[in-house]
Amino acid sequence: MTKKIFNSIMVVAAAVLIASLVIIMGCLYRYFSNVQGKQLEDELSLAAAAVEKNGQEYLEELQSNQYRLTWVAGNGDVIYDTQSDEESMENHADREEIRQALQSREGKSLRYSTTLLEKTLYSARRLNDGSVLRISVSSATVWMLVLGMIQPILIVIVVALVLSGVLASRISKHIMEPLNSLDLEKPLENDTYEELAPLLNRINKQHRQIDVQLSELQRKNDEFTQITQGMTEGLVLLNEKNVILNINPAALKLFHTKKSCIGKDFLTVERNHDVSHAIQDAFSSGHSEIRIEREGKEYQIHVNRIESNGTVIGAVVLAFDITEAAFAERNRREFTANVSHELKTPLQSIMGSAELMENGLVKSEDMTRFVGHIRTEAGRLVTLIDDIIRLSQLDEGCDMPFENVDLYEVATDVAAGLADIAAIKDIEIAVTGETVRIKSVRRLLTEIIFNLCDNAVKYNKDGGMVEVSVSREENQAVISVKDSGIGIPAEHQARIFERFYRVDKSRSKESGGTGLGLSIVKHAVQYLNGQIDLQSSPGEGTIIQIFLQEDKNDVMQIS
Amino acid sequence: MRSRFDEQLATLNNELTQMGAMCEEAIAIASRALSTGDVKLTGKVVSLDGEINHMERTIETLCLKLLLQQQPVARDLRQISAALKMITDMERIGTQAADIAEIITFLDGRTGGECEHIRFMADAVSQMVTESIDAFVKQDVVLADAAIDRDDVVDDLFLQVKSSLIELIAEKPTDGGYALDLLMIAKYFERIGDHAVNIAEWVAFSVTGKHKGAEKL
Repeated sequence: MTKKIFNSIMVVAAAVLIASLVIIMGCLYRYFSNVQGKQLEDELSLAAAAVEKNGQEYLEELQSNQYRLTWVAGNGDVIYDTQSDEESMENHADREEIRQALQSREGKSLRYSTTLLEKTLYSARRLNDGSVLRISVSSATVWMLVLGMIQPILIVIVVALVLSGVLASRISKHIMEPLNSLDLEKPLENDTYEELAPLLNRINKQHRQIDVQLSELQRKNDEFTQITQGMTEGLVLLNEKNVILNINPAALKLFHTKKSCIGKDFLTVERNHDVSHAIQDAFSSGHSEIRIEREGKEYQIHVNRIESNGTVIGAVVLAFDITEAAFAERNRREFTANVSHELKTPLQSIMGSAELMENGLVKSEDMTRFVGHIRTEAGRLVTLIDDIIRLSQLDEGCDMPFENVDLYEVATDVAAGLADIAAIKDIEIAVTGETVRIKSVRRLLTEIIFNLCDNAVKYNKDGGMVEVSVSREENQAVISVKDSGIGIPAEHQARIFERFYRVDKSRSKESGGTGLGLSIVKHAVQYLNGQIDLQSSPGEGTIIQIFLQEDKNDVMQIS
Repeated sequence: MRSRFDEQLATLNNELTQMGAMCEEAIAIASRALSTGDVKLTGKVVSLDGEINHMERTIETLCLKLLLQQQPVARDLRQISAALKMITDMERIGTQAADIAEIITFLDGRTGGECEHIRFMADAVSQMVTESIDAFVKQDVVLADAAIDRDDVVDDLFLQVKSSLIELIAEKPTDGGYALDLLMIAKYFERIGDHAVNIAEWVAFSVTGKHKGAEKL
């Protein structure tokens, strides 16, 4: 702005300066040239008259530095010159002014010096005797004048430069001040040049548009972030150059990286050959999926190409944690194998006995023993199938009625029911604690306490003891079953709640268990929204505690 | 002009990362083949080696093209020259992994179980390669230093492998050939460790401008 103003001021100043210089010089120079011409004529008339009268004497007497007088004979030879020696001068007949004078009495001419800095004005007159008297005067040309004026002109130019600089900066400051102080955040509240009003209106309109779009964008972005933040699946968005655009916390954890990876190539995060291959596949064919293993967990990764108007604009990488699904699948397979095995063992035994009896190989006095054997094995089968049915009921999660149950009463009932079996091993079952009433499912509670106590008796030493206690802690009901049995080695503790899992595989037949008891306990406690705690040391015994939320059950009852 | 250059540098980085990932995979498969005695895996290592060699040519061409066309200076020049050096080391890693695979085929399914240190060595070297490639990907000098330090562990393990193989030969002279094969494998692992150190040093050079190896001289 300042520069522009400075330039225009300078241009104007220079133009005015040059124009005035040219005009003034032109006018004055012409005027003075005329005056000089007249003076020259006058001087020539006077000198001519004097020479006619006095001849060469006049010229010799004449003392003039300003004018130069030359007397030339009719044939062009110089008779006398006031400034040079006439002998050395050449014939003047061809000089223009002399020629004119010889022809028409009067002659005039103007000649410039070679440098153009000086001009000489000649005026000649034919005298009565046929000779010619010439007068000449030298004067500076216009250029000489201009050259002489260079110093003042330069001074004027410098002054103009400084002045225009100062003026330009002041003017531009003055003009710019309202513009600089414009509040573009609130364009309509400015008091400024009215020429700016349309612009400010336009800005105001665009401001509002931007605000609306920004809040819309922010809202969408928030929604997206909210959704992806909460996802347990890892989500990565890539652009068409494989650069990460967005990555959610689950994916950050999976690929062991930080938020700063956004904007970098996905290769820097995950350079596994298979994964890069899968992404390339997805870019070329639209979709691909692979399974990878990370720190003992299994992930299924889906990659989908994103297209917009037929051009590929990126890809979505979605990683699911399928560890549990894979584990469940494995469990199911194991369960099927176990179930068939467990069902087959007693049946084999029954078949064996029955075949012996069929072939008449059994003596009549042994008959009762064999039939008894068949009955026991059949009984085991029934128990097993009962357990499986109960487990599957729990798996199905079918509705069971919640009612007011006294845990202490349930515990004493169970203890009484097991008293006979316990007595065989000389084990005492003691029930301690207080009356704890909670809203729960009586059948499941009986199941839980029965299975725990049953195990406590089965895996106990002869003459040992089982202690069942029922108590209330804060708003939880606690059932604790403690035995002085053989205990569970630490490496098995994590797995004993699995179906058909046995610590000592050889003891199954002897103890008569199905391997499903603790599994039933686990599922029942899960159904009741409780928790199980296991403490055990081999040789010393086991304490299993069940914590049941009272409030939770109440809430379930109401709903 | 600059943006095109940046794009080319990014391509160079990606190709290097991919080549590094291939090296990691090659050595991981080689050590798995050793521990399981699965001869089928060795074929994979050999084919990976082929891919790695091909990749080296591609990256080399790209580097030379960049040097010629862009005449890089300062950090860019360091990055490209370090890349040129690193691919040589990566190529050696690939080739030596293939050599290990080849020796494994001579072992007749034996897994070097007599000498457990060789397996520790395989794991340590595998991790070193991963660390140095990681250091490259993240341009992380700390990781590079970790990889360089781990080399001492690998060197110690090599000495242990050597002494336990001497014992093996003393006990069972008939197993002499087998023991020598194992020693060769251990030596290749040790060499791969050295190449991983080189890579880590070049990573440090491309980031800091100082070459680690120079300090030790």
